[in-house]
Amino acid sequence: MTKTLLITGASKGIGLATVKEFLNKDASISSIIMVARSSKAFDENFEALKKDNSRNVKLFKYEHDLAVESDVEDLLENLKQHEQVHIIINNAGFTKPDSIQEIKMADFHTTIAVNLYAPFRIVQGLLMQQKFPETIINIASTAGMNGRSGWLTYSASKAAMINMSQVMKEELAYFGTQVVCLSPGRCATDLRKTLAPDEDPTTIMQPEDVAEIIRLTSTKSGLALDTTNIVVRR
Amino acid sequence: MRIGEVYKGKYRIVGYHSDAPRAIIRGDLVSQHFTAIVLNGGFGQRTKANQPKQFIKLNGLPILAYCLLALQKVANVEQILLNYPAGSKDQVEEIVRDFAITKPVKYVEAGTTRHDSVSKMLAEVKTDWVFIVEAARPFVSSKDFEDLAECEFKNVSLTLPIPFTVAPVDPATSEIVGSLERDKLRNIQLPQKFWTEDLKKAHEYALSHNIVATEDATLVAQAGLPVHFINGPESNFKITTPFDLALANYMMRGETEYDD
Repeated sequence: MTKTLLITGASKGIGLATVKEFLNKDASISSIIMVARSSKAFDENFEALKKDNSRNVKLFKYEHDLAVESDVEDLLENLKQHEQVHIIINNAGFTKPDSIQEIKMADFHTTIAVNLYAPFRIVQGLLMQQKFPETIINIASTAGMNGRSGWLTYSASKAAMINMSQVMKEELAYFGTQVVCLSPGRCATDLRKTLAPDEDPTTIMQPEDVAEIIRLTSTKSGLALDTTNIVVRR
Repeated sequence: MRIGEVYKGKYRIVGYHSDAPRAIIRGDLVSQHFTAIVLNGGFGQRTKANQPKQFIKLNGLPILAYCLLALQKVANVEQILLNYPAGSKDQVEEIVRDFAITKPVKYVEAGTTRHDSVSKMLAEVKTDWVFIVEAARPFVSSKDFEDLAECEFKNVSLTLPIPFTVAPVDPATSEIVGSLERDKLRNIQLPQKFWTEDLKKAHEYALSHNIVATEDATLVAQAGLPVHFINGPESNFKITTPFDLALANYMMRGETEYDD
């Protein structure tokens, strides 16, 4: 029980399910750093986790908006107090689906900031703190592989995330870092509701399903997977 | 003695003064403090690149970064002395900053020759022990330095056996003039470890005898001081030619790419 896990977008959805998955099933984890924007859901879910923490894993709640560059820098400052970060899960995602004519540049900027710049900067910042993670798990999306009408900004950001992961995988192999890119398909999250408001969430993949796969990729047997871009769909 | 037999061995490099005193100071090795002299001053004309070879990207990272990252992890390295080709100090400083090298780094402008560069940097050494390494060896590892530090001998070079025949020749007549016993020859590698005082003595000897050395282990031997060798890893080769660079890229990527 010695490892520190950092996860963004941890207040709900796949992020929260992943925290629970590691909390309950991975005995090697001693600290979990949860990053999300401040929200009532984050407060409540964090308190609930603290009550359901039989292994006494140290839980950290960092409230940062990854859309804001200075907030990402503040997060990196906070991370200085942690000696090492063994697993980074770049999970936070943003989308504002619009037709090409309707896309506001401000929304496009936010999408790229959250989905691409922040994951990059977190990895770069930690390397520059001489912290070499064992595993980086980037959560992309099947939308990054196939563009869909109305999802331009999101699809573009996730396609970039997939390619960024490939570069990280090659470049960081020297440091002994395993880089995983995982592309979930339709999954019952708030983000999915934004993308497909009319869909019945009970009929599609659940965050817990993805969380289980995420944990699997960080295990020893997970190393046998071709982690270039793992597609998770149901 | 066959090549295979010397692999784990530690032997002495034979200098011109074969009666030189053999000084083994095993007991002093506990509290070793090292300065690492990183030779980074070359212009790399033989790599035929448009920039000094240490700045060329190897699997995405500048070649110089690999050596610094290896040194960063060696506990008993107190300071890094890093030289730079004239006009490229900023570029070198940026690499040190970007790769978060937290060991103190002192920058020294390169001399006119490699020998001159070592002399200039040696004058800055405050510790009892020095490592000398070349930036153009990206496969150097922390373990290489640790192996040297732990070696019982005072002055030590990594070396490789010579698996092929080397012939003495007369370049003027293109004649092969004899034969050499390859068991009695070694390919000198870096890094090397020296007792600072001995290396300074060797450089004083070079100055008084007009010697311009191409590396320091043989210079120390020439000066009549003891210097030994241990085997280094074959992978720790120096990037000199475009062929070396292609091979290095292949080796770096070979570890990350799939075979199928």
